[in-house]
Amino acid sequence: MKRNLLRPLVVLFLSLLVVACVKDTDFDQAEDIALTPVVELDLIYFDIDAGEFYDEINEIPVLTVSDTTEIRFLDDTEIQESLRRADFYFKFTNSIPRNFQVDFQFLSEQNDTTYTTQTTVVEGTVAAPIVTIFEEIIEAHEILQLTMANRVVVSVTIPDSNPDLEGNLNLKSKTTYYLEIRDRQ
Amino acid sequence: MRKLSTLIMALSLSVCFAQNKQILYGFEEVPQNLLLNPGTKVPQKMHFGIPFLSQIHVNGGSSGVTVFDIFGESNVDINTRIRNKIFELKNTDFFTATQQLEIINFGWRANNEMYFSGGIYQELDFISYFPRDLAILAWEGNRDYLDYPFDLGELSATADLLTVYHFGVNKQLGKKLTAGLRLKLYSSMMSIRSTNNQGTFVTTLGGAESNNIYEHTVSNAEVTVNTSGIASLDGMDSADIPGEIIGRAFFGGNFGLGFDLGATYEINRDLTASASILDLGAVFHSKDAETYQATGTYTLDGIELIFPPLSAGQSTLPYYDNLEDEIEEEIPIDTITSGYTQFRPVKMNASVKYSFGKAVGKGVDCDCRNMGGSIERQQAVGLQFYSIFRPKGPQMAGTLFYYRRLWDFLAAKATYTVDSYSYSNVGLGLATDIGKFNFYIAADNLLRYGNLAKAKSVSLQLGFNIKFYEE
Repeated sequence: MKRNLLRPLVVLFLSLLVVACVKDTDFDQAEDIALTPVVELDLIYFDIDAGEFYDEINEIPVLTVSDTTEIRFLDDTEIQESLRRADFYFKFTNSIPRNFQVDFQFLSEQNDTTYTTQTTVVEGTVAAPIVTIFEEIIEAHEILQLTMANRVVVSVTIPDSNPDLEGNLNLKSKTTYYLEIRDRQ
Repeated sequence: MRKLSTLIMALSLSVCFAQNKQILYGFEEVPQNLLLNPGTKVPQKMHFGIPFLSQIHVNGGSSGVTVFDIFGESNVDINTRIRNKIFELKNTDFFTATQQLEIINFGWRANNEMYFSGGIYQELDFISYFPRDLAILAWEGNRDYLDYPFDLGELSATADLLTVYHFGVNKQLGKKLTAGLRLKLYSSMMSIRSTNNQGTFVTTLGGAESNNIYEHTVSNAEVTVNTSGIASLDGMDSADIPGEIIGRAFFGGNFGLGFDLGATYEINRDLTASASILDLGAVFHSKDAETYQATGTYTLDGIELIFPPLSAGQSTLPYYDNLEDEIEEEIPIDTITSGYTQFRPVKMNASVKYSFGKAVGKGVDCDCRNMGGSIERQQAVGLQFYSIFRPKGPQMAGTLFYYRRLWDFLAAKATYTVDSYSYSNVGLGLATDIGKFNFYIAADNLLRYGNLAKAKSVSLQLGFNIKFYEE
């Protein structure tokens, strides 16, 4: 009699464990998980003295100065897959009494130009520097071009110059990166 | 990206399975209760665990989130649910998983009335606190968190895979007191820990004197990751890794030493108190140990272009390399190969039990051999307390239990536990003795078995033994 009851009890308990289940869940939703961080990051900065636009040794104006830096993370596979939009923000403060043209040329590792943009900086004076803000929003297919680059060439062009030119051109810049990180297998 | 989903999956899996063996504690019909209190009362004369089957234990839990919270069918977008959970969870919420597999377990009563027991078991123990700030940073980015210092110190996790060789002795000292001691030799197969970290990361708007628009600052960072048994696996053929790890299970790894202590005191015939301290010890990681340490303070403000006068074909300055070098110099990541000592998570159990009902077994109302001690009765109720020391302090649980010996061959224990996970954890354990054959199974969070996805923790133990009683 006693032993007859054992079996049903153990069976009951075991079946409780067996019927234990995971209900009303949908693990396919895992595919929809996406992190969408918005990252603010400084980009480049410079401060060019007016004297840079005049070669005093050879006594000739230097109308364009340029420099290049790598932005090595830009063409990382993960950035290429995840970057949806990039907002560039450039803040020029100009105390040189000249307008400037500033060109940004993004180059790939193979030296191909993948993306370009330019702006004009308004002239200022040493007494009253003028701030020029330039914003560039890059999204959709342009993002693909941007993320093929890993370098940017910055060229600053002055219409004319002389040895007496005073002031400086200052740049501060940042980029807002809109990412969408999801599992892509 | 793949790592991310693996992590999320691992976390959700660990959610499915808790920590405390509240059902087995004091459950004298199960010989493995000696591992929870070396000073428990031992009714049998001898026991052998069926190798590899004497105790299978899985438990896991997450204090703040269930699988259902994330993956439940809902009209709300999964990303919205994850985001809401990230903000709802606290940095003291945690995810844990423990798994034990007993390889051998045996015990016998020697002529001097001492009960000796020993064995080998393998254990996996994992805990990670929820690094809330880092989760917010990863999920949201820093745009909406200017001036907010993200706390790097929230990073706190340990994972251990080890084999434990143990041998203990248990003896009734006088009429009322039973005490026991167990010596443990740990053989660590793999260990990773990162605790006591500190530092902050903050993005602030630069002032007029700042070089650039923002200042991204890591302050007083001190992040340490201790590893042992991991560095040598790097570069090893993945097919060879399981063999290598199993090899370490048998005296191949890093050693440690520990103790379990416990006692049971019979206050009077009906009232019994007991307590134990487990895993009072440390593992000494000397072989294959690597510690990575990042310390320092650094402010990033972008790349400064200086427009050097260059002749044609001349390459410009390596700004980016210089920046990377500068960061590495200011916040160096040192690799230290000297050993380190890791304390085991100390566990404490305590209980008080009131027995009532018909006397059973040899515990007749007047047991002349056991005057003054408690007598075994058919039913008992009691309270238990459990605590485990974790990196951010102890985690505790309280249990109310009811024990009933249904027949000579079947005993049951029901528990109601309140812990960090929930206030509604009901557990049940059964132990049967059919002849010399002993089988037990214990599971908690039974109310959640209808849908495990809604459980914050689940603990399950089962096993088979052979027991001999004195004729």
